[in-house]
Amino acid sequence: MNSGSSFFFLLVIGLFLLLSCNLQAADDEFIFELDEIEKKPLEWGGYAELKFEHLDINQGAALTRLNFTGEPPTTIDRFSPSLQIGGSYVTGITSFNWLLKAAGQQDNFGWIDFADIYEAYGRVKPTDQATIDLGKQAYKWGKGYAWNPVGFINRPKDPNDPQEALEGYITGELDLIKSFANLGSLHNIALTTVLLPVYDGINDDFGAEDNINLATKLYLLYLDTDIDFIFYTGNSRSSRFGADFSRNITTNFEIHGEAAYLSSEKKLTLLQDGETRLEGDEVFRTLLGLRYLTDNDLTAIIEYYYNGNGYSEDERARFYRRVADGAIQLDNLGNDSLLHQARELSLRGYGKPFVGRNYLYARFTLKEPFNILYFTPGLTAIVNLDDQSASFTPELAYTGFTNWEMRLRFSLLTGGSFTEYGEKQTSNKVELRLRWFF
Amino acid sequence: MKKILLAVFMSLCIAAPVFALDGNEMLKKVDRNLNPDSYELYRKLINIEPDGSKKEFVMYAVKKGKEKMASVFLSPASEKDRSTLRIGENMWLYIPNVGKPIRITSLQSVTGGVFNNADIMRLDYSAEYDCEKVEETDKGYILHLKAKTNAVAYDRVKMWVHSESLLPDKTECFASSGMLIKTLYFKKVQDFGGGIVRPAVIETDSPLHQGYKSVMIFAKMKAKDLSDEVFTLNYLSKINELR
Repeated sequence: MNSGSSFFFLLVIGLFLLLSCNLQAADDEFIFELDEIEKKPLEWGGYAELKFEHLDINQGAALTRLNFTGEPPTTIDRFSPSLQIGGSYVTGITSFNWLLKAAGQQDNFGWIDFADIYEAYGRVKPTDQATIDLGKQAYKWGKGYAWNPVGFINRPKDPNDPQEALEGYITGELDLIKSFANLGSLHNIALTTVLLPVYDGINDDFGAEDNINLATKLYLLYLDTDIDFIFYTGNSRSSRFGADFSRNITTNFEIHGEAAYLSSEKKLTLLQDGETRLEGDEVFRTLLGLRYLTDNDLTAIIEYYYNGNGYSEDERARFYRRVADGAIQLDNLGNDSLLHQARELSLRGYGKPFVGRNYLYARFTLKEPFNILYFTPGLTAIVNLDDQSASFTPELAYTGFTNWEMRLRFSLLTGGSFTEYGEKQTSNKVELRLRWFF
Repeated sequence: MKKILLAVFMSLCIAAPVFALDGNEMLKKVDRNLNPDSYELYRKLINIEPDGSKKEFVMYAVKKGKEKMASVFLSPASEKDRSTLRIGENMWLYIPNVGKPIRITSLQSVTGGVFNNADIMRLDYSAEYDCEKVEETDKGYILHLKAKTNAVAYDRVKMWVHSESLLPDKTECFASSGMLIKTLYFKKVQDFGGGIVRPAVIETDSPLHQGYKSVMIFAKMKAKDLSDEVFTLNYLSKINELR
């Protein structure tokens, strides 16, 4: 038995022992001990995760050519352990909150790891109507599940895993709330104001340095509809404003949407003559979505995303063709100048996720089919509507063992030559994720 | 003759409290007996599978008036700090990693098992239902309740109410098709202090989940003054700080 098999065997034995303990506790009477609900000033928790991935590499794809200078591998096996710890210390009207993340990755190319402070901020809450936060905090503004055009100070999320924690920015925040007891058309109103400084070593990946930026969000619960008006100004990025909404049409049918206007955003484009052009223009982005629950507990989330500044199908095809030409140039002449240019273009635009114009996101989950409690099969599809390439991710998730979460996923990327998903580095992927919460 | 008249008068006086209570007034009394107008409490939910294995959830909840309720999970660790807000028929779930509230429906269940969100985040019965008919039984009454709108989780509810305590013994919950969705059994009447005497345990089973059972245990229920701002999306991540 090799070391990988031994590790897997031990993991299965460990899981079995843990689940056995869980089942043995089943005969206990219903007990509600008061120490279970005792409040402590210091509270903390988190999860430890093991993730195994097997990736099939798309040998002829443009991004494979760009990401590997030599011969690309046919498969990659990856093992990624990670640890996330969050907590808070509360005393009176003040509290300190934190979220720490450490992760490693072992694959064909060796071991890499990182540890980061995702959040660490102090909070003062003198009244229920006002809160002041100071420190590093993550923002997730917007109503969309997969994309958030109005998330002007959000970090971009992975639509395949939109529920994952993201690193924050160092900010100062004032949150004011006013509620109206008489339940008229306007139930409540809230104003969130955020100051986001950008200096060398402080939020320097946000935008241009030596600036203090301002972002505000005005929230209304009006006529049973969530409405946000969001505004950003500052010299680190161009000024932008937007609005979002979410509303239940019936108890099992919700609709939501976002619209954002950016006064200017730069875009690097590869021209037909092989030259590149960098120009700024105003940008409009929208998202429309729905969430529907059927009688048999199937939840469907469907979203359409329009990225006004995205590359057209022709623009992306031109880039992929340039990569193919670069590969031929390298193979025949030993010259990598075209590939070098393509790598630069990839880093500065073409290689980033969701840089097309029109996308469709659909996620279907079926709660506890066949009466199997805590079992949720699902399917996520992301389609580039311009070139009809797509990724399909069926999954099985089980949360029946207290504080354990198991998820098995398979991702299949489909698309022809010179299409977004047809030119990705991975053609398919199997992923097993185990999480233990503490 | 005087004796007969006196007897009739006396029996009318005794019967008067019964007939003076129409179904909707009785329902309001049931609501107030189950909980004060504004309160906090701790709850443990236990989902029991046919093989006897259990999964437990502990939560802290606050409620104000007829239509506002918020709760936060304290355990297990996998659910900790997940918060739920309900204002009338609007319901939101906040998951710490997601970092923003998401609208959910009353028919879903944030815990799995037989209890759905409407059971866990239950408002006053009188806020959601009209009493169409009162039926007398040996031990009390059966209230026949009809949902005020089609946004309510159960279209009809039959509630068995104890005559002396005016507390429910059992409720049967029906879909608009007339299908029985679940039955709730109210057990172990307990004095929580502050004049709150109510069942401390609610058990439920459902013909839709044969062999499965869910139990809700109440603790430390007490009246609490709460500001309206507590029941807003911006406050949802801070519910735990009310404890």
